[in-house]
Amino acid sequence: MNQLRVQHKVGDLCLHAHASFDREWVVISGENGAGKTSLLRLLAGLDAADDGQISINGNVWLDTSSNFVLNPENRHVGCVWADSSLLPWLTAMANITLGVSRQGRIEKEAWLRELVQGLEIEALMQRRPHALSSGEAQRVALARALYACPEMLLLDEPFSAQAPAIRSRLRDWLKGIRQQLQISVLMVSHDAEDARVLADQHWYMRQGHLLVEAGTAADKSRWKNMA
Amino acid sequence: MMWEALFISLKLATVTTAILLVIAMPLAYLLAFGHFRGRTMLETIVALPLVLPPTVLGYFVLLLIAPDTWIGESWQAWFDSTLAFSFSGMVTASILYSLPFAVQPMQHALLAIPKNWLEMAHTQQLNLWQRASRVILPAAKGGVLAAVALAFAHTMGEFGVVLMVGGSIPSETRVASIALFELVEMQQDSRANQLALVLLSVSFAVLTVVYAVNRRGLAVGVRP
Repeated sequence: MNQLRVQHKVGDLCLHAHASFDREWVVISGENGAGKTSLLRLLAGLDAADDGQISINGNVWLDTSSNFVLNPENRHVGCVWADSSLLPWLTAMANITLGVSRQGRIEKEAWLRELVQGLEIEALMQRRPHALSSGEAQRVALARALYACPEMLLLDEPFSAQAPAIRSRLRDWLKGIRQQLQISVLMVSHDAEDARVLADQHWYMRQGHLLVEAGTAADKSRWKNMA
Repeated sequence: MMWEALFISLKLATVTTAILLVIAMPLAYLLAFGHFRGRTMLETIVALPLVLPPTVLGYFVLLLIAPDTWIGESWQAWFDSTLAFSFSGMVTASILYSLPFAVQPMQHALLAIPKNWLEMAHTQQLNLWQRASRVILPAAKGGVLAAVALAFAHTMGEFGVVLMVGGSIPSETRVASIALFELVEMQQDSRANQLALVLLSVSFAVLTVVYAVNRRGLAVGVRP
């Protein structure tokens, strides 16, 4: 079980989050500026919470009482942010395999093929980011996040630039990949359909406060109304 | 005299730039991203040669490397020669004198790297070496090239500091700028013109490279 209890001040916003989740899909929604992305950044280790603890898969990632913060590179998270953050001087292929040795790339050849086919980016692999649409860049960033086989996936509106048809296919494919990897996925989304299809848990954020809902049909209906 | 002095200048500029490339990158990284006490002090020390008269810097370096100092004594013991009034002494002084010209373009290039690229490198589990070689250096390539060009050109044109530390020993420490001064003093106008023209051409070429690189946007690696 993963435990999250953090307090963090970001500008004028005071973020309070207290939740637990297992290896499941959590969809986070809420109005703009509610603290959704800030919460993902705390989990990724890009910001250190002012106070609290984060414990994932039995490992402590953050414990402010003992001044312990685990580095982002040791958390084994895969991240996709609203901005795809692809390096412009590398091809899509090189962006995906960044940080993996030549030997590692040989070992992961089948995995890369599966990702590339599932995300429908076969034809884009030799292109550089400037020659990709925002939707294509988002899918390449998703492939990069998954390629390292992370223990947790943090997604900030990963389908926002996708056309409706491909968005639906991506949801189904990614759901299968999550089950295959048995990892936690925390996904910020404004799309009620994402929550309906993917969410095991819904978290709703309002002015920095995290409201956790269970995954019943009634909860889902309530979430839809809130979203 | 003229070609020999030019060769010493080129050798001095090459050695100084090579050493500065190794020293300046970590220093620029520290100044761009480091949070530590004394950061402002370190930044001030690095920038000091920009405003300090070269003769003052040369004088302090000379005091530092004199044979009766710890550095001078150690050098003498290891290499059986004095550091003052030698090519090695000039290299030491040139490194200090050209330090801001190498550090500052790199520092600015590092600060211009988009934050999300650096964060991505962390979350993609890249270690420090991988982050440096695969993200930071390619992104700051323009700044590194500018630093190399400026450090080289600046060392080529040094006068006061190399005169203080190296003197003007023929075939050893007489660099092109000092040779030019001496040619003018001896009223050898034709040779002085030639040497001045060569120095002007080198400076012009180096600056052209710097501006061309910057215009292409290599400083932040934004162009394919």
